[in-house]
Amino acid sequence: MNIFMHELRAYRKSTIIWTISLIMIVLLFMSFYSSFAKDAAEFTKIMEGYPEAIRNLLGVNLGNLFTILGFYSFLLTFITLCGAIQAMNLGTSIVSKEVREKTADFLLTKPVTRTAVMTAKLLAAFISLVITNIFYLAAASIIIFQVKTGDFSFKLFIMLSLTMFFVQLLFLAVGIFISVILSKIKSVLTVSLATVFAFYFLGMFSTTGEEAKRYLSPFKYFDTAYILENSGYEATFLVAGAVIIILSIAASYYVYVKKDIHSV
Amino acid sequence: MNIFWREMKSHRKSLTFWSIGVFLMVVSGMGKYEAYSSQGQSINVLIADIPKSLKAVMGFSDVDVSKVSGYYSILFVYILLMATIHAAMLGANIIAKEERDKTVEFLFTKPLLRSTIITAKLLAAFVNIVVFNLITLISLITFLGKYNRDGEAINGHIALTMVGMFILQILFMVVGSAIASVKRNPKSVASLATGILLFSYLLSIAIDLNENLAFLKYITPFKYFEAEMVMYDGGLNIVYVLISVVVIAVLAFVTYVFFNKRDLDV
Repeated sequence: MNIFMHELRAYRKSTIIWTISLIMIVLLFMSFYSSFAKDAAEFTKIMEGYPEAIRNLLGVNLGNLFTILGFYSFLLTFITLCGAIQAMNLGTSIVSKEVREKTADFLLTKPVTRTAVMTAKLLAAFISLVITNIFYLAAASIIIFQVKTGDFSFKLFIMLSLTMFFVQLLFLAVGIFISVILSKIKSVLTVSLATVFAFYFLGMFSTTGEEAKRYLSPFKYFDTAYILENSGYEATFLVAGAVIIILSIAASYYVYVKKDIHSV
Repeated sequence: MNIFWREMKSHRKSLTFWSIGVFLMVVSGMGKYEAYSSQGQSINVLIADIPKSLKAVMGFSDVDVSKVSGYYSILFVYILLMATIHAAMLGANIIAKEERDKTVEFLFTKPLLRSTIITAKLLAAFVNIVVFNLITLISLITFLGKYNRDGEAINGHIALTMVGMFILQILFMVVGSAIASVKRNPKSVASLATGILLFSYLLSIAIDLNENLAFLKYITPFKYFEAEMVMYDGGLNIVYVLISVVVIAVLAFVTYVFFNKRDLDV
């Protein structure tokens, strides 16, 4: 419990900064919604002048896209990217920092098992992410009710927002796994940014049609268009995500318990 | 000169990874072009009518994505983002790592001026950036050439956008090094540098969304040399080149001045 509280305190400042940054991004983008809605209304009028065939060409999703939730799913890609960086940073640093800051022998000579250390740290990271998401959700809800021009489904809004949390959990697990596998990480940011952006770009270039490729990037596990249409998540991707999280956490425990840790 | 070679050697591995990364990105990005190019002309006429903010949300742009050059102008944004992240972290870490890794007293008790050390380090970072830029240029020319079936003259365009990217790489490198010189805590330097970078990237997207923010385009470097503008609209804009040069000069100056007076944390 001491380790847990200590880690929570150690990451308090960074959690606060990340939460505020995420809220600022939502605020910045949502403040454009009214002008966007005006553009969208005008365009819908233009669209009515086109023949049916061309309208179909542009895709059925356009109707969804021009609503406030469509707009929100657009900016959610950036929010999720930032959230993923936060989670990955957290995961990569929380275990590896002991070695880097030469406090590993202090911590690991305490009368607690390594499993207990790992659990406490995992839990602290998890709670930090939960706190970030609670504050983010609260702020985003307030913002979206301020700028809305028509009715929208609040349930769908929550479902969309929760995708960030799921992506964060994925990156947290992957981050911890990477950090216990590498013998020493000099710069956490290099590792975490490189991983997150690698997956982000991977997702960028494997969008339409190719189902198999979507499994490669966690950013593609939650398709906002699908959520808006079916008000549910895609089960196969939920399972894939859960499997990845469980496997990386289990592997992290397994490696960490046996890991050779250099003292000072 | 020893410091320069030592830095080159210690960044060799990371440069290799980054180069492989940018190469893979060009390969996978161009692989996606197949899908776009088959879509044909029909949609372009329609896209022209869509308001700019809607286009930003839908991921369309003014350019003709069925042409290699048009598609490249979209791909360029992501390559630029990657290159500048590399540059910002490089500039920040190359200065801050001595204090972070507790090697600062070893290095700074050598009979060398601090300015000499900084110069050697910045030079090493500069060479790294040049290599990264050249590798990007070569991968782009090779792969765009491969997909360029209409025989568009694009190599000149690519080279020009790479010049723009190079200026921004240098800009973000000195952003990183200036932060590293000014800021006391060496651990948070790289985070702050990339934070500034991501913020300016998001700002450039926000500008696309809302025309009222157009005046902010001087603030975010991601708006300086957009591929679309560089390729179809008269090359590098001299105003932005001047702004970049001034900012680079000021930040390089800040790096030297503050580092010379820095209270090193041993």
